[in-house]
Amino acid sequence: MKKFVMIHNENLCIGCQACSVACRNENKVPDDVYRLQVHIKMSGTFPHLKSDYTRHSCVMCEDSPCVSVCPTGASFKTENGITLIDDRLCVSCKYCILACPYDARFVDPITKAIGKCTFCYENRLLEGKEPACVSVCPTDALVFGDALDQNSEVSKLIAKKSIEYPKAYLNTKPRLGFIKNTKGGRYE
Amino acid sequence: MNNMWGSTAQFDAIYWPWPIAIYLFLAGLSAGSIMVALLVKWNKHEDNANSIWDAMVKAGAIIGPVTICLGLLLLIIDLGKPLSFYWLLITYNITSVMSIGVIFLLAYTPFAFLFAMMIFEKEIEQYKIFAVLRPLTKFIRSFAKISKNIEYILFVLAICVAMYTGFLLGAIEKIPLWNTPILPILFLVSGFSSGIAANILIGMLFFKGSLNKDSIKYLLVLDLRAILFEIPLLIILFLGLYLGGAKEFANLALSDTFYGTVFWIGVVFVGLFLPVLIAATALKNHAYKPLYIVINSLVVLVGVIILRYYVVYGGQALI
Repeated sequence: MKKFVMIHNENLCIGCQACSVACRNENKVPDDVYRLQVHIKMSGTFPHLKSDYTRHSCVMCEDSPCVSVCPTGASFKTENGITLIDDRLCVSCKYCILACPYDARFVDPITKAIGKCTFCYENRLLEGKEPACVSVCPTDALVFGDALDQNSEVSKLIAKKSIEYPKAYLNTKPRLGFIKNTKGGRYE
Repeated sequence: MNNMWGSTAQFDAIYWPWPIAIYLFLAGLSAGSIMVALLVKWNKHEDNANSIWDAMVKAGAIIGPVTICLGLLLLIIDLGKPLSFYWLLITYNITSVMSIGVIFLLAYTPFAFLFAMMIFEKEIEQYKIFAVLRPLTKFIRSFAKISKNIEYILFVLAICVAMYTGFLLGAIEKIPLWNTPILPILFLVSGFSSGIAANILIGMLFFKGSLNKDSIKYLLVLDLRAILFEIPLLIILFLGLYLGGAKEFANLALSDTFYGTVFWIGVVFVGLFLPVLIAATALKNHAYKPLYIVINSLVVLVGVIILRYYVVYGGQALI
């Protein structure tokens, strides 16, 4: 058993969107819908501007509201804690989209089933590769790995840095964590 | 703002549109009209010893199964994969309110039809088009001894169907207007009220011959009580939002140019104020004035539809 965790270091992110493009390409995400977006929020007054880059995707909750509300069991968890959707069982009632506190799900315009980030489970993780977004990140802002393995890069990062988990008060125990931006990219 | 990350349409979509709002109305109406029919049937009136033939009972026995079927049809049509709906019947997840709802509906719907066949046994014998059903009514007749128990079961199932819709929305933590324990009871009471209105309308339209003024008076009294009970429920709903940390949402829900207007005009004025006004003036002491009774029933029905619409759309659009 593994505990797959992804950490997005917002200090290293430059908002290049390579992760988003790689995700679309790797997972054949249809036009107009997104498994992953990196939103850029600018704050401050010119010339003292700061850009924050925030990743918007499935956070792989350990206690997933989407799995508990799914009437057919189409939304399920693998033994490694990854939330997936069985397209065949999915009737597309959209209950899970409404239940997800992270707005991570959408209706796939082609299959009509529900789509979301899968950490590239079937196409890359099962082959021992990292998710596509992690592998293309030019600044290594994304770190992925098994948090149960003491020697993995992600375990070392968790031990060293303060990780913020989104909407922690909901107790869904996300496995996508963030190292919050302290410095930020400069608007040039 | 630069949106180089692409379209954000998927985050703002209304995922449960009008068929869900209408379904919630129809489910409440079906359960309500069945409950009302049973209450009238159980409360026999002095000058009508054989109240099983009461127009209100007949109306409920028709409205109950018809509206739940229409509602279920809407539910299926609204699925992204309507032809896969059978998975809902094969696979169950007991932590999902939707799954529990399927179980209730699966029990409730046949019982609603059974009730209709019990009430219309005579008509089925009489008219040729129902000839196919005759063996079935004979079979049902052989269980006449337990008919009262069937009515009790149906009553409990109707309560379950009317209330589960509230829990269905209540399970969505993200939407403050839905995530409230008041919703199931509000849906039950307003569904009951719509059931009274629909039974009176259909009863007066189609079953004039067996109309009993006493039962209408009895129902008008019940309806007024239900509507008066809805007022504190709505107050508690919004009070809960204000005190429970969704103050901004509550302000928006009551003051939004569109949804705020829908609430004050549609839910409060049409659905609550007008029926109370009619009851206090034209129908004083629940007098039998058919025109005003019809108007009263229509405003009650419109009010309940708008309430469901407001909860479903306002909840999703305003977060």
